[in-house]
Formats: sequence, structure tokens, C-alpha cells
Amino acid sequence: MSVDAKNLAGPIIRVENLVTHYGDTPILKGVSFCVDPGEIFVIIGGSGCGKTTLLKHMTGLLSPTSGKIVHDGTDITLLDEDELTRVQRNIGIAFQSGGLFNSMTVGDNVALPLREYGKVGEDLIPSLVRFKLNLVGLGAAEHLMPDELSGGMKKRAGLARAIALDPPVIYFDEPSAGLDPIMASGLDDLILNLRRLLGITFIIVTHELDSIRKISDRILMLDQGSAIFLGTLAEAESSDAPRVRQFFERRADEFIAQRGMVPGGHEEEEGAE
Amino acid sequence: MTPIRIPVPGELTQETGRALHRSAREHALQKGGVLLVDLSNTRTMDARGGAWLLTIAEWAKARGGELAWEGASGQVAEFMELVEPGLKAALRKKPRRVGLLENLGDATIRATAEVREFLNLLVDAIYWTILAPFLGRGFRWGLLLDEMHEMGVRAVRINFMMNFLLGLTIAMLSAAQLRTFGLGIYVADLVMIGFARELAAVMTAVVVAARTGAAIAAELATMKVQEEIDALRGMGLNVPQFLVAPKLLALTLVMPCLVSLGMLSGIAGGMIWGVYVLDIRPDAWLNETLGAAKLKDIFQGLFKGFFFAIVIVLIGCHNGLRVEGGSRGVGLMTTRAVVQDIFLIIVVDMMFALLFYYVVD
Ligand SMILES: Nc1ncnc2c1ncn2[C@@H]1O[C@H](COP(=O)(O)OP(=O)(O)O)[C@@H](O)[C@H]1O
Ligand SMILES: [Mg+2]
Repeated sequence: MSVDAKNLAGPIIRVENLVTHYGDTPILKGVSFCVDPGEIFVIIGGSGCGKTTLLKHMTGLLSPTSGKIVHDGTDITLLDEDELTRVQRNIGIAFQSGGLFNSMTVGDNVALPLREYGKVGEDLIPSLVRFKLNLVGLGAAEHLMPDELSGGMKKRAGLARAIALDPPVIYFDEPSAGLDPIMASGLDDLILNLRRLLGITFIIVTHELDSIRKISDRILMLDQGSAIFLGTLAEAESSDAPRVRQFFERRADEFIAQRGMVPGGHEEEEGAE
Repeated sequence: MTPIRIPVPGELTQETGRALHRSAREHALQKGGVLLVDLSNTRTMDARGGAWLLTIAEWAKARGGELAWEGASGQVAEFMELVEPGLKAALRKKPRRVGLLENLGDATIRATAEVREFLNLLVDAIYWTILAPFLGRGFRWGLLLDEMHEMGVRAVRINFMMNFLLGLTIAMLSAAQLRTFGLGIYVADLVMIGFARELAAVMTAVVVAARTGAAIAAELATMKVQEEIDALRGMGLNVPQFLVAPKLLALTLVMPCLVSLGMLSGIAGGMIWGVYVLDIRPDAWLNETLGAAKLKDIFQGLFKGFFFAIVIVLIGCHNGLRVEGGSRGVGLMTTRAVVQDIFLIIVVDMMFALLFYYVVD
């Protein structure tokens, strides 16, 4: 499957000149890039620069001010609700804080998309759920409720739900934030395995340098609403752009106090997510 | 014991997996027996095929045997590494069901603990609302005005409507009886006494329980779920002082105003019926109304309103802070708060009725 997917001509997702606002505040100011099938595409950038916003637009959860988002040849910004839903069934989304339904056990959370539109026999669902949970190392948590899990476990359960339907594309918002290093590295291995065995394309937002070095095929860096870098890891590490250098050398931001005052820039507001 | 060998076809998918499961179950696997899955011909497999292997392994374990495999290579071997932990895991047990007696015992223990918690909250709330400000231990005066606006000013319209309509209804009902004796004017007395002593206080309390009581429970429950309450505690801030006291003081100040408004609205509703339908002159109706009630009756209503306010705030906070689980817990606790509010309003009302009947009147 991975081999076939890679031979497909052309990108699986194309974003063209994406402009987005929250109210009157511009967040993304014309971002363009492509994602190839089977690739692990990493989006980096400072906190509050619009990475989550970008993912939400790419998955059709928000609609942009202008610009195109093309999935497999269809521009999802032009689709109506029903058509969009059909596209969304073919992508998996793992949210920053898991996004699990609190009223169901972890197992039922994973089973939900399978039951709703998985075309899986009811007889296979329990095993399939167990299989997916084992993949993310949560085999023992099947009957627990989400509020009985730690933050990292919630994140992994969210990933298990995202891969429930074996979607060709998975979006993952900060997978390793809040995980211990061993767990984070395990998650990286899992992502690599899923890509290799199932040919899944990953679009991942992350801050973790180790993780970026381990998994990324290509990197997009956002800063103040624009794409300031797009290329491979090697290119990123030898880049001259000061922001990129700063990120990879983990230098503190001497401009941090000024960041909120740059025209069009915006202050951090994590609670809004 | 020789293992039972089952060959797997070239592709292990949802369909071939199902067939494999069916054929595996035809074998008489004995305790301690091994079901050997032969993967040497298998070139590809997917997640659903892997899940069927788990189903088969589960079946084998349930019969006291186990599942083993051989001959995996290439992609299949890598895939089997991912499936392996599930295949090796012990037979999964369903979570334990709790018996009836155990349930009853738990319920009793829980109820006692809950009452104790509530009393603690009551004491803390009274301390932080009444004593602490005088002792100079801090009260969030800024928040008080906001809360009074939210709980009081914004409830004026709905409270007016509800009491007005109730007044109209009471007048209608009683007029149907009294006018047959030519005593239509006494409807004014009835509405006045009814609203002063009872109806305005209860109706207003129900409105406030549904608005403010629910809001308080939902707000505190959400704060708890999002660890905001823990954050407050962690900063050394006191929850009753910080969250409960401003609400308690605000509602106890606002409630008598709302109840007074309720009385006026109810009487206005009754009067509309009296003047326009019973054809009684407005001044006669007003005279009758004013003569009907003593100050004592009005005071009764206001006094009850004050206690209802305490009930609503404390029940809301109590339930909000007891939330467990996430969003669903918030919904459950909000419902619980409103149900308890309305129940306790009626109970408290009845106790006051007894008190006034035997002691005051
Ligand atoms: N729902 C929202 N309404 C208004 N502003 C928002 C909302 N969500 C995020 N923002 C703002 O948009 C900016 C980008 O947010 P986000 O995409 O979440 O950043 P991050 O790169 O950290 O994921 C931030 O400045 C944030 O304050
Ligand atoms: Mg984010």
C-alpha cells in the first residue's frame, strides 16, 4: 500500500495562499505549500503563531478568509456540509488535548467511528479496538473513562481513535507535548511504523526537536502568520534564516517581549483553544 | 500435544480474516493446546486482518489454549510485531459488576460524606461572607457588583413575566369560584395574600434556581474539570472565599428585590383580570388589595426569599464542586443542582409555613 501511494502523481494536499482571521485579527497571511502522499510533514513555529489554526483549516473545521485547500483534487473550501463530511471521514485528526468524549470509555471512543461508518462487522469491532489501543500502548485502558487517564494517555487514545478507520491522512497536533521522553520516542516509532506499514501521510505540529529530527521528511515553519521556511531537515539545519537557526539552536528569543507588539502579531492565548 | 496448524492465505484482510476465524473455530482446541497460525504464504496484511488474529487468539485463550504463529516475513513480520502485545496479553476480563447490597452500602456512605461536605461548605460560606469582611480578611467587592447584575438585573424581565402570568392565572381560577357568589372583589384579597406570603417567593425562587442555580453549578463544575479549582487551591486561595462568598452575598442581597418585584408583578396580573374581566373599578380593587395584607405578610415572603437564596447558591456550589468526569459530569451535576434546588425550596417553604402557623400567627 505504501508503495502504491508513493507512486501516485502529485501532492495529496495543496494549500494555496491561505489567509485566515479570527474576527479582525489576521492569523495566517497567505500560506502556500503541498504535502506529498506518504510523507511526514512537520509544521513548526512559536507558540501562538497559528499552527493549530492551520490544521483546523486544512481539516475543514474552520473556513478561511481566502485561499484554497485542495485534498485529492477537490478544493474543500468550496464544499457544502455533506461533501465536507465525506472528505473528513478519510482523514484522522488527533487533537492537542485528545478530544475524547468524556461520557464513553476509551474503548467506546475508538469504536465510535467504526460503528458509525466503518463498514466493519460488529463481530470484529472489539478486536479492532483492542488492536488500535495496543498500537498506542493503551491495551490495558480499554475500559477506563477518559478522566481516569493522564494527559499523555489521552493523547495516545486520541491517536488510536484517529487511526481507527485506517485513514490515508492523519493530522496530529503536538503529539509529544506533555509526554515523557520514552513515551514520546515510542510515539515517534509508532508514527514511523504506521507510515511504513500503512502508507499513512502525517501532518504533524510539534515543538520537540528530537522528534522533528527523527520523523520529519519536510518542515514548514510559520512565523507571524507567514511561511518562513519550507524544506527538508538538512536544509533547515543549514538554513541562514535567523528564525530557523534560532529554533534549531534552541536559543532564547531576545525579542520575546516585543513579539506581542509587532503589527499584526498577537499575544499568546492558549486558553482559547 | 501437536499444535493445530491453520494456513493463512496470501492476503490477510477483513474478509480472509473472517474466513480464517470460522475455520479456526472448527478445530477442537484443548486446554494447553496450541493454535499455530502459518503465515509463510502471507504477503500482506492490514489492521483489520490483524484484528481478526486477535479475535482468534481470544477464542483460543478462552478455551485454555494459546495462539502462536510462524513463517512471517517482510511487511507481515513487521506487522506482527505491532500485533504481538495484543496476542500475548492475558484474556481480558469484563469490568466487575457491583452487587445490590454493596451498592446500598456505598450509597449510605456516600450520602453521609456528602452531607458532611455540604455542612462544611455552609460553615465556610457563612464565615467568608459575613465574618471575614469585618475581620478585614478580604472579600472580592468588585465581583459582587458583576454578580448582582448577572443574578438580579438580568433576571428582572423573566421574573416579571412569570409572576405576572401566575397572578393572572390565580385571579382567573379564583374568580371562577367567587363571582358565582357575587364576591369577585375578594379575588383582590386572595391574590394579594397569596403573592405576599407564598407565591412570589416560590415562583421567584424557581426562576432563580433555573437561571442562577444552574449557572453556578455549571461554572464551578467546569472550573473543577479544567483544573481551575486545583489551580486556585495551589495558589493558596480559598475556594469558599474566592468563589462562593461573592455569589452568596450577591444573591441574598438581590433576592428580596426580586421577590418584591414578583409580588408587584403578580398583583398587577391579578388586577388586569379584575379590572378588565370582572369589571371592578381600579380604585376599589387597589383599596381592597392594600387592605388585605399586613406588613407581616409581605415580610414573610421576603424572609423566605432570603433563605431560598442561600439554598440556591450553596446547592449550586456544592454540586459544582463535587463534579467527577468531564463534560458529562458537568451536565449531570447541573441537573442535580436544579432538581435539589426545587425540592429544597418546597421543603423550606413548608417548614416556614409550619413555623408561621404554630408560632407567629
Ligand atoms: N477561537 C479563537 N478566537 C480568537 N483568537 C484565537 C482563537 N484561537 C486561537 N486564537 C489566536 O490565534 C493565534 C494562533 O493560535 P493557534 O493556532 O492556536 O496557535 P499555535 O501555533 O500555538 O497552535 C493565537 O494568537 C491565538 O490567540
Ligand atoms: Mg496549538
